[in-house]
Amino acid sequence: MNLNLPHLHLILNHVPTVGTVIALGLLATALMRKSDALARAALELFYGVALLTLPAYVTGLATAQVLKEVPEVSAEAIARHHDAAVIASFLMLFTGGLAWLALWQTRQGGRKNATMWSVLVLAALTLATMGGTASIGGEIRHPEIIVGEATTAEVGPAWLRAASIQAAVTENVWLWPGLEAVHFVGLAVLFGVIVVVNARLLGWMSAVSYAAVHRLIPWAALALGVNAISGMLFLIATPEQYADNIAFHAKLVLLLLAGANLLYLTESEEPFRVGPNQPVPAMAKMMAVSGILMWIGVMYYGRMLPFIGGAF
Amino acid sequence: MDFIQLLEQSAPMVWMREGGSLWGYPAILFAHTLGLGTVAGVSTAIGVRILGFARRIPLSSLQPLFTLVWVAFAITAVSGLILLIADASTKLASPVFYVKMLFVALAVVCVTQLKRAMMPTPGGSESGGRGWALGALFCWAAAITGGRLMAYIGPINGLG
Repeated sequence: MNLNLPHLHLILNHVPTVGTVIALGLLATALMRKSDALARAALELFYGVALLTLPAYVTGLATAQVLKEVPEVSAEAIARHHDAAVIASFLMLFTGGLAWLALWQTRQGGRKNATMWSVLVLAALTLATMGGTASIGGEIRHPEIIVGEATTAEVGPAWLRAASIQAAVTENVWLWPGLEAVHFVGLAVLFGVIVVVNARLLGWMSAVSYAAVHRLIPWAALALGVNAISGMLFLIATPEQYADNIAFHAKLVLLLLAGANLLYLTESEEPFRVGPNQPVPAMAKMMAVSGILMWIGVMYYGRMLPFIGGAF
Repeated sequence: MDFIQLLEQSAPMVWMREGGSLWGYPAILFAHTLGLGTVAGVSTAIGVRILGFARRIPLSSLQPLFTLVWVAFAITAVSGLILLIADASTKLASPVFYVKMLFVALAVVCVTQLKRAMMPTPGGSESGGRGWALGALFCWAAAITGGRLMAYIGPINGLG
């Protein structure tokens, strides 16, 4: 099977809509039945859907580059779909981040209904926006779904449109270097906290319980959030640097795996039971080593964007 | 300056800079990134503990992390020195470079003092060091920002 990037986009674009519908239903049921297990499953799903929204977005950028060359495809329809996707993707990232927080709180024993209800409300808003994005996306190549006139209205607030963000980076020469500085500080905080938390699983600081070290993880999650946002802004500003760049694709795949690893550190029962001076199960050690290696890989391919991928 | 230029134009530096191998300039650049991420990031983890987060971690148990910080600092310094020599005439002419070095020096002072402040005292008190922690966080962030801006301010030769 030959799977190119546009084909991958057509597969991945179902995840943010269908995934959010299922997760939303699960979370609503969990809140009604007061079921912790169901709530956790829903929150995990939101987190996973938020991660997979990144490749859905990136393959969308690659698809736009391909369709740019096809004369019968309307550039305006693609721009509208892109503008909607930017808003929906940011909302999805916030939903995933909030779901992560709820999972962390649950593991710390402080289950906060307020956080879960916030996830529910934000997810409903995300679903509406994501549904709209999908619908506008469908109109690009499916005239048969258009009832009456095709949508022509511009999407979202002007400052959040891709063209405005691209113009801002061109006009304000300090914006890009500033975002890079933020992205690098974020990388340091994320990696440093990950190293410290995993160090406990590898037998350092063995006098400390894992539950105590677990309290540092929100700093890593915060830095990941900052870098997801700054990274999205890089993508929006210069999509041609990333959409078809093999180094960036490698970074993205490793980021998804590292993101799953972060969920293990946050959620799993196994490391959390490790008390002061207690041995660490082999599985937890393996996850610690692979987690550190995956984050190193994310940084490597990020730094190699100009050298392997030929960007900039 | 002549000696620096001699080094800059030496065969290993020319190969590293212009050889086009991923094991040349890109590898040193990555070592620098990985090193600075570890130094600044582990310092941050220690710093936020001092500032009152994750209080259930006893301060004394964080001492081994300083070893990691200094090992990573050595990697960052050596790779940084190579990056500097490979591009000496441009970087030494950049004012941002000296500002960055100032913040690195200040950050090292803060981390050293932080380690001292975290030593268990006879009274067993676990306070102090907050100022050094804040100083370390700020100076590392400023040093990283300075490093990034070197690619944009002053003389630039296009090396990433």
